Amino acid sequence: MSFSFNSENTMKMDLLKKRYPQNRALILPLLWLAQKQESYIREDAIKYISELIDIPYMHIYSVATFYTMFRLQKPQKRVVEVCRTLSCELNGSQRIKKHLDDNYAQDCEIIEVECMGACSGAPMCTIDGRYVENLTPEILDKVLNVN
Amino acid sequence: MKVIINDTPIECKEGELLIDVMLANAINIPHFCYHKDLGADGNCRMCMVEIKGQKRPQIACDTFVKDMLEVSTLSENIREVKRSILELELLNHPVDCPICDQAGECKLQDYYMDFGLYDSHLNTPKTKKGKNIDLGSNVILDQERCVLCTRCTRFTSNITKTGELGIIGRGDSARVGVAPGHELNNPYAMNVVELCPVGALTSKEFRFKQRVWFLDSTKSICHGCSRGCNIHIDYNETKYSPEKVHRFRARRNSKINQSFLCDYGRLSYRELNESFSSNVSDIKELEELLKEDKKVALISPSMSLQQLKFVKDFCQNRSIELFSTAYIDENFADEWLRTNDKSSNFAGVKKLGINSCEDEFFNSLKSAEVVLNFNHKYLKENKIETKRVVQFTTTDVDIGYELVFAIANFAHESGTVINCDGIRQDFYATKYRDNTPRLIELLEELK
Amino acid sequence: MLTKIVSKNFEIPLSHTLDVALKNGRYSSLRSAFEKEPQELIDIIKESGLRGKGGGGAPTGNKFQIVSDWEGTKYLVVNADESEPGTFKDRQILLYDPHLLIEGIIATCYAIGSNCSYIYVRGEYEEFSDVLQAAIDEAYERKLLGSEAEYIVDITIHRGAGAYICGEKSALLESLEGNRGHPRLKPHSPEPEFYFGEPTLVNNVETIASVPFIVQNGAGAYRAYGTEKSPGTLLFAISGNINKPGVYEAEFGVSMLDYIEKLGGGVKNAKKLKAVIPGGASTPILPAHMLKDARLDYENLRTLGSSLGTGGMIILDEDASMVKALKNLLRFYHHESCGQCTPCREGSSWSDKILDRFIEKKAKAADLDLLKSLSKSMNGKTICVFAPAVSGVIDGFLKHFEEEFLECIK
Repeated sequence: MSFSFNSENTMKMDLLKKRYPQNRALILPLLWLAQKQESYIREDAIKYISELIDIPYMHIYSVATFYTMFRLQKPQKRVVEVCRTLSCELNGSQRIKKHLDDNYAQDCEIIEVECMGACSGAPMCTIDGRYVENLTPEILDKVLNVN
Repeated sequence: MKVIINDTPIECKEGELLIDVMLANAINIPHFCYHKDLGADGNCRMCMVEIKGQKRPQIACDTFVKDMLEVSTLSENIREVKRSILELELLNHPVDCPICDQAGECKLQDYYMDFGLYDSHLNTPKTKKGKNIDLGSNVILDQERCVLCTRCTRFTSNITKTGELGIIGRGDSARVGVAPGHELNNPYAMNVVELCPVGALTSKEFRFKQRVWFLDSTKSICHGCSRGCNIHIDYNETKYSPEKVHRFRARRNSKINQSFLCDYGRLSYRELNESFSSNVSDIKELEELLKEDKKVALISPSMSLQQLKFVKDFCQNRSIELFSTAYIDENFADEWLRTNDKSSNFAGVKKLGINSCEDEFFNSLKSAEVVLNFNHKYLKENKIETKRVVQFTTTDVDIGYELVFAIANFAHESGTVINCDGIRQDFYATKYRDNTPRLIELLEELK
Repeated sequence: MLTKIVSKNFEIPLSHTLDVALKNGRYSSLRSAFEKEPQELIDIIKESGLRGKGGGGAPTGNKFQIVSDWEGTKYLVVNADESEPGTFKDRQILLYDPHLLIEGIIATCYAIGSNCSYIYVRGEYEEFSDVLQAAIDEAYERKLLGSEAEYIVDITIHRGAGAYICGEKSALLESLEGNRGHPRLKPHSPEPEFYFGEPTLVNNVETIASVPFIVQNGAGAYRAYGTEKSPGTLLFAISGNINKPGVYEAEFGVSMLDYIEKLGGGVKNAKKLKAVIPGGASTPILPAHMLKDARLDYENLRTLGSSLGTGGMIILDEDASMVKALKNLLRFYHHESCGQCTPCREGSSWSDKILDRFIEKKAKAADLDLLKSLSKSMNGKTICVFAPAVSGVIDGFLKHFEEEFLECIK
């Protein structure tokens, strides 16, 4: 079935249109809405957005590949992002990554990301976008197994 | 006002870019992303110059001239800057020169020979990207050779406004490409091959055919339509192949086509390699036919002014009714270079007063006994029964005719054409040997 | 030592809700603001010496003036793209006192003559931007924002999607316009930033959040804190090998070692301090022996060869490997380079790969020279300051900790 925004997102889009001086500026918000709706950005979603705001397909595709948070492939499992930048590494992020790789590689897609702005809660990770800070392997087990 | 470049005062005007002034005065200033018809992007950093009074080197493509600005491109400092930036451009370059079509006209090669000549310091693996990707429209992409100057993406975004090309990814995995499932598809697509300063975008037509240093070049005009875009004909007399003309390149003309050609015109070089391949008649045989009463002639509106004038006089002397009807194709015209008139000199036909009325031509054709066709498309494609037809042709003709004469095409002619805006332009012949007689030479034998 | 100007309401429960915020002084500066002419407000900001808190430290008042003077529809863009490693202060404002930010936005918009503001929040901060959106919705409902407010201001949150470079103000505007986050060429004469061709003021969250205090209490009250050249306070952050990592607001000019001891609780596990990266990853590292008289302001750290940046201190203890630390940072820069200009795109990738040889202890002496010359090639030759920052980071590590790198050479 070809992509289109559901009614809630169509309403959001109409409200957003009024807030920007040009339609081009809607590219990021619309890509976010498309990703939230389908859990990733489908090829026909890009086509849909391209026709909606009259911007060439390639431009939107090019923008989508520039930003790391836009997913162009459907995630098969829950996504765990582990921060690997300096403050987290100084506080044992590699140990957390190893614990995840050893025990949760089957259930989770484990990605390393750069500084998430949670340095006081180092080491940290996000689980499906939610921040989980001050990690130990035990806390990680509790959080991952509860959900 | 004056600026001082390398201790030499140079005249310039307010509002000019430093790089334009330098290029106009033949000062060697390396650059990738700047192009006269695309503007500057400032991303290659190759055009850095040292400006007196400024701490850091500045890019010439983003600097406007100021009175008495002192600029250096030769100081020790700026030489090292250029060398180090070139090294970074070449860092992940696959160095495909032995198999790359761009060799001989590649900016990376040129700049390396000018101010590179260093030993490679690279001891880590090079980044790998896509190679030999067919983008469509005769363009092949090699992402590893690309220096991300964005000339091609800016061309499709800003000039043709079709937006097929763009950058995918970020950082050192950034690469130029088309979106998956899409292709490069617009009537001016092959211009990106010429715009690309390196071998990242190459022509499928030209792929592996010739080394550019064997090519000779002549200044000519495209005969594909009445725009009269300026071209170079690149040719090389290849010994065992009938192909002598290998490609057209755009010649910059700020009033007509800037640095661009349409794909139809660019690929029309192929016609120059065609010729009439069967037996030709003897020109003396034409004398017999010219004794008939009712004679009509049709001449191609792509003939040069000189050819048109000669044939007009010839026809007047021999009582032949001369016509030249237009090659109109409304679907061909667009908002940029292509016009609806697919001949190169219809304005010349009008200027010389040659009859261009189609109805009158067909009327005269009805009552004619002898029909002379000077390479006009119509009579090369449509058989005229019950007439004695004489063809003067540049290519093979397979419809019936009584007499046929091969004549040289515009690769072997020098002449003048007038374009759709009334601009007179000269084109010049190539110099490779060809035994086909030129039209005027042939007709002169009839004295 | 802890000074609470911007962080005054952080500890109050439900401080992010409008009712609690109003009870604790929020929006009270607007009364004072609307009684003055917009130019008066700009003058007060100039007098206060407020400097940008996003890492650059440029005088804020001048930026207000340039935008205010330029013809066109004015926009205010608040930079909440906080992605500098070690920096997590703006997040506190979004989470614990969003109404302070909204108040600052209204006052700033009034001062420069703008009616439209965007807050560019980094994509990862989704939870926090939801809190901010809820606060904005409350403000609209209460007619503090929107067409029925006393001064019309519209605020739209624009979420980023994971690109550090979008914290650079011209790249941020490119992203806000719907393009890839490629920084723009810098103008040759003083100009404001432009959003779709209109004059735009881009300021960090904390800078705008400091405006209400200054408007309400006057330039002198702000100058009472900090130093002559760096007046006021900053939400300094501290993380790494430290006992109490967190965000603690302090005035400029306090001693760095005091801050580390008193507010940070000292180095974790009673280890010795080895080095400090003073202002987020893009500032040159400083070894402990240089920090005796180090003060947390822009001028002092510059004399030590580093800079204050965003004030996000990363503490490295005696066990931390400098080679691993540099590799970590270069890997970050390699990942985040936008790829537009050649020296940065190739240089950040190559320096990361060279560090791998040091990590694997397979480096040659030539590699060290290569790093140094690469650092030179990246400095001052690019469109934005990303590459010079990488260059500064490499230089800092090699200048002060060369022995550790030499140990990795075979």
